[in-house]
Amino acid sequence: MKEVAVIGAGMTLFRRHLLETGKELSFLATKMAMEDVGLEKDDIDMVVMGSAPDAFDGIHMKGENLIDGSAAVGKPYVRVFNGGGTGVFAPIAGWWHVASGVADICLVVCEEKMGNCYPHPQTAFRHIWDPILDRPLTPNLVWLFAMEMNRYMTVHNIKKEDIALVSVKNKRNAVGHPCAQLADPNITVEDVLNSEIMAWPVNRLDVSPPSDGASALIFCNKDIVHKFTDDPIYVAGTGWSIDSTMWTNRDLYFPRYVAQAAKMAYKMAKIENPRKEIDFAEPYDPFSYKELHHLEGLLLCKKGEAPILTREGVTQRDGDLPVCPSGGLLGVGNPIAATMGQKVCELYWQLKGVAGKRQIPGDPRIGVAQAWGDIMQMGTVILLRRG
Amino acid sequence: MVEKKEYKEWPPYAPGTYVRESDIRDKNITYTWWEPEVQYSWSLGPAMSKFLKGLKAGKIFGIHCKRCKRIIVPPRMFCEYCYGPTEEWVELPDTGIIETFSISYLDPDARRIEEPILVGVVDLDGTPPHHGFMHYFGEMTKDEIKIGMKVKAVWKPENEREGSITDIKYFKPLKGGGE
Amino acid sequence: MGFLEKQTDPMSPMHWRGDMQADYFYPSGVAGDRFFKHLKQNDSFLASTCKKCNKVYCPPRLYCEDCFEEIPDSNWKQVSASGTIKLFTLAKLNAHGENLESPKVVAMIEIDGTNSRILGLIKTNDFEKDFCGTKVKALLRPKDKREGTMKDILYWE
Repeated sequence: MKEVAVIGAGMTLFRRHLLETGKELSFLATKMAMEDVGLEKDDIDMVVMGSAPDAFDGIHMKGENLIDGSAAVGKPYVRVFNGGGTGVFAPIAGWWHVASGVADICLVVCEEKMGNCYPHPQTAFRHIWDPILDRPLTPNLVWLFAMEMNRYMTVHNIKKEDIALVSVKNKRNAVGHPCAQLADPNITVEDVLNSEIMAWPVNRLDVSPPSDGASALIFCNKDIVHKFTDDPIYVAGTGWSIDSTMWTNRDLYFPRYVAQAAKMAYKMAKIENPRKEIDFAEPYDPFSYKELHHLEGLLLCKKGEAPILTREGVTQRDGDLPVCPSGGLLGVGNPIAATMGQKVCELYWQLKGVAGKRQIPGDPRIGVAQAWGDIMQMGTVILLRRG
Repeated sequence: MVEKKEYKEWPPYAPGTYVRESDIRDKNITYTWWEPEVQYSWSLGPAMSKFLKGLKAGKIFGIHCKRCKRIIVPPRMFCEYCYGPTEEWVELPDTGIIETFSISYLDPDARRIEEPILVGVVDLDGTPPHHGFMHYFGEMTKDEIKIGMKVKAVWKPENEREGSITDIKYFKPLKGGGE
Repeated sequence: MGFLEKQTDPMSPMHWRGDMQADYFYPSGVAGDRFFKHLKQNDSFLASTCKKCNKVYCPPRLYCEDCFEEIPDSNWKQVSASGTIKLFTLAKLNAHGENLESPKVVAMIEIDGTNSRILGLIKTNDFEKDFCGTKVKALLRPKDKREGTMKDILYWE
């Protein structure tokens, strides 16, 4: 297995509606990543596209549709997709391409146009429910997350105030991000608790918005990385795992699929004490409680301990374990697969020291990013390290 | 190779053209509208067919996986944990406890409603912990609903049942059982 | 016995009917928006030319898919709404497999002055003709009724 480095990253603006078509968005993100390295289309060996359901863009076989914007015409190409997990799974697939030796340089592009589904992507999301057992009850997708949040809060006796702190931290962190959709430097816990209740215990400011956007990453083989940079950022470990679709047959308080994926990644990276050895984390935070849920799943703290770490400021940018320094999904936006931009691309930018206003102080050397998908099922984890 | 861009901060700019709801409403941009007509007929398979027929008859069926020693509901032809075939059908009581719940102020079309909908997962009696299905809760207020509350199914009258999960109207608190 | 049960009654397994309810709104994109806004006001098309390989795209693009280079504004030009039929077919069934009232000639038309082809409906009563090589012009909706979508091109003849 070859060692793989990340050499370039790019992302577009994230907003509820963008004028660009999916192809144009893919082009803009890819162009930024290629500018980072100085590559042309012919320099890229293979392309991986990550994009969540066709039902959002409204184009069947959208993986094929997005090819020309992804520098993929005439190249080996594959689209991967596992719901929200795609944001980290697509880079994992890009890593496979290079680690196996079939490609020296692999481009990974993630794109999403949720705004095409009118009037709200809920109409497409609704079809994730089982058509026989769940859909006749006409459920709303927020109910699912509300039920998981309730279970998590009840098992560990967590107050909503502690969970609201995550929304406050992330929306404030997003102020330094040029692509951010919902950055807010002044948001408080009261704002979150007083925002409209959607399905108790989920309030409106606990939820990330649907967005249009795209992001891109370029991987290359260690043998040639010296052509592009003196300070390479390597992929230290990858892991992925999925749990049963029968979500009513599991206790939702702990994401064991994230723990399995994390163990796989830590083993590859030879990490034995994640809390001590990892410098910062970008877990998937489509809901405020999910950041806490996933921190525990990533084995970065004990079960039930994540809200305490948040309350004590440990997860702030200048804390001992910065979490979501990019602003996460709550601050930057949630274009499902394109969240690779504020998860994995952010790891790359932080490790290189070029994250500008969002830069974590000190000398971070290892970061972990995680994504979560499908119906509370998929956990995907990637670790990047400097040098 | 092309010119490498040396920006100090990344991402250096945010490409993309923001479109507001007002731009769409006022047709400041051009767009194409499409309403797909897609019809489905899902095969239920033998397990779900029997489960739904059971609901029509006012019964809840689970199925036994001997290797994992668990009664699975909703039933399936094979167990996804040991990947072996499931065995006997078991009739389950229509009682259970609340595994988790939500108090929703949004109806299924995401419109706001005054009186909340109570929905959640019922962990059915006779199955291992955390095994059940999603359903509504009724005859209780949002202040009374609790994880761990004992509940019982309220069925539609026999002549209204169709062989669907909605043959159960909702689960109500089990009287005499307390919480 | 679950999985190992024999199914002897063919009507026993049931089906569940349903549909997918969603409506879609496709913004035309940055390049497409310019193309359609131009078409709303004029009886001509816009095209864009890649500065590296000189391929002319109509409808225009922001970038060339082969060279992966951005196409600057200066490389946009007007072309007439006319072309030559390269391929065609006679459609007798609709999307649901039912007979159409009258057959439709659907053609791939290469736009004059470009390297691009688009799909269009040919207005004709001659269903036996070989249309390959026929020169056609676009018949557009009246200007005040144009909406800024491909439907503004009614037929080609």
